[in-house]
Amino acid sequence: MEVAEMSEEDNGEEDDGLEHPTAEKQYVKALEDGKYRDMWVFCEKQHGELLDVSKEMLGKARELMDKYNDDYDADERVVSVVIGDDVEHLAQETIEYGADVALYQNDDRLERFLHRPYTEIFVEMARTDADWRDYDEPRYVVFPATNNGRDLSAQVQAELDSGLASDCSDLYIEDHEETNPKKTGEPGESKMFERTLHMKRPDFSGYEYSTILCLDNPEREFHPQGASVIPGTFDVPEKQNREGEVIEFDSELKDGWFGVEITDHDLLDEGVDLTGHEVVVALGRGIGDDPTLGMELGLELVDEFDDAALGITRGIVTSSYDFDGHVEEYTTEERQIGETGQVVQPEVYIAAGISGAVQHKVGMDESDTIITVNKDPDARIKEFSDYFIVGDLFEVLPQLKEAVAEGELKAVADGGLTEGEGGDDDV
Amino acid sequence: MHYVVMTKGVPDFREGQVEFDEDGHLKRGNTPTVMNPNDRFALRAALQMKVKHGGNVTLMGMGPPGYDKVLGEGMRDVYADDLLLLSDREFAAADTWATSMTLATAIKEMDDTPDVVFAGFKTADGETGHTGPQTNWCLEWPLLTHVVSMAYDEDGGSIRAKRLVEGDPDEIETVETTTPAVVVTDPEFDTSYRKASYRLKRKRLREETQERAEEFEDHMTTWDHQDLNLDPEYVGLDGSPTIVSGVDPIPKAPSEREPTFMEPDEEEMEQVVEEIAAYGGG
Repeated sequence: MEVAEMSEEDNGEEDDGLEHPTAEKQYVKALEDGKYRDMWVFCEKQHGELLDVSKEMLGKARELMDKYNDDYDADERVVSVVIGDDVEHLAQETIEYGADVALYQNDDRLERFLHRPYTEIFVEMARTDADWRDYDEPRYVVFPATNNGRDLSAQVQAELDSGLASDCSDLYIEDHEETNPKKTGEPGESKMFERTLHMKRPDFSGYEYSTILCLDNPEREFHPQGASVIPGTFDVPEKQNREGEVIEFDSELKDGWFGVEITDHDLLDEGVDLTGHEVVVALGRGIGDDPTLGMELGLELVDEFDDAALGITRGIVTSSYDFDGHVEEYTTEERQIGETGQVVQPEVYIAAGISGAVQHKVGMDESDTIITVNKDPDARIKEFSDYFIVGDLFEVLPQLKEAVAEGELKAVADGGLTEGEGGDDDV
Repeated sequence: MHYVVMTKGVPDFREGQVEFDEDGHLKRGNTPTVMNPNDRFALRAALQMKVKHGGNVTLMGMGPPGYDKVLGEGMRDVYADDLLLLSDREFAAADTWATSMTLATAIKEMDDTPDVVFAGFKTADGETGHTGPQTNWCLEWPLLTHVVSMAYDEDGGSIRAKRLVEGDPDEIETVETTTPAVVVTDPEFDTSYRKASYRLKRKRLREETQERAEEFEDHMTTWDHQDLNLDPEYVGLDGSPTIVSGVDPIPKAPSEREPTFMEPDEEEMEQVVEEIAAYGGG
């Protein structure tokens, strides 16, 4: 390999009289005839543990490279990268989640993420020849689309003079036939780009999916092909007893990289987290006839579930209901579901007294099963309900509570005495 | 002090402004262009610096000549002393890397080197969040991202900021660095002013900028690739590693469901009970 020199001759274009700072390649460090292999995965950690997204990426990378090796009769690997102050055990763990080679760098100063040192180290790893590899740079690099992971991906790819797609929700590798003359070099010609990483991502504020490709130009190689992946997109793989190489990397850290100092850090008080529960019971303005009782009934139903949370609509947050003190804490913005509140997708969403404004819908319509309780069978929420109980929440919520407690329905209307009675007296 | 704020014109994605064709593709031609909403936080952060420490705010964007209105909008709605539009057919269809090289070159080309370059987090159209960090990589300055509040120490020329780190749970970090630096603001950036004197000054500056924005063209400089001494091969689509190979409409969310209606009696609700009973505690 050689670092391409961009002289006037190479350029092959007419001299337009400009000095061209970019032609001096001050930001451009592409290779010529570079050899690219393997899929590298940057594994982010927090407090001595891998983030779930790191495991998710390793699982996906394993799947992609197994298929790749089949499709192309190749033997390329998943290489994990872990950077921190004491991360050998995490590097070891990445093998269990699917990596073939785990590279790690330890240093006290790397305990927390810093843009410059992490970028420098990753890039040095990517470019440094070693016994275990026989290539110039990685073929693919994958990062988590977290605040820090996304920043790192951008800077690593800038330094490696290549491209990337952020916040991907799907990745696959296949050959791609391209006709864009910028990429083929010849208008009207098509060119096959083999082993292209297809990066699918929601775009334009979620209105469309774009498929992004990172393709070499005729005169400039854009490798590695890079992507960042939205946390939670892929499944966390099962831990397996796998063989792999764990290799310590020994970058000589430069003081000049540490221009930003972290002087303090705190866990963020996130208030109430309504996400991640099996069940969410949500209340809307249907509680208006007796707001405090409505809140109590909702909370009682929540209590019957193993793992449930109580949410409310914007309508309740902004209402002027006069709640009694003991339920008031449940009526604030931190429990609001919807566009300006939290977005939940529980297995069961019980919407009681909620009309179904579009702002509420975006906060819950990905739930597996949506059960609505509403007096008005024409309420807009019917468009995104699976079950619609046409009734008054003040009657139906206690029935549901009883049903969950007993595993079956008692006719609360009859005083709840029809089941479980009888028999004993007769003995 | 000189502050440069990087912004981008994006389609206005607010409800009611967006149209789709029969195949479900966004009709971009019919969608008005506005200043990227997240960039307003960056511009407000720059205004906050000016209120507290003085200096000039340059609002800079890259795009077709019509994007001058986007810069004018920023000047009117938030603040700017002057506007800089990087506009050239050669810059068109740039991805984040080609864009970042162009922006960094423009920043280096300025007579008055900025003390702080501000950027917003993610644009409403591309949504990559890459341009701030990549521009910074070209500049080789300290980078602070996801910043929710900041303070500048005039004596030491240093910035202290709080930034958001994603994790489980999320964290907040206090970071310190020296200028010149690149600051990427988070949409949660704190733009409040605690001192009355600052609030007064802000009010005055806001009035000035609104007046200036009436004739924003008078405060606009436009640079093309020749002004920046940029090789066309390295900017725009020519200089972009990535291309968009396909765009698909996002399938409608699984929201349009057919409900099973039922009266609240034992028999009819049996199905619902089956659904929820499994989640009962103890």
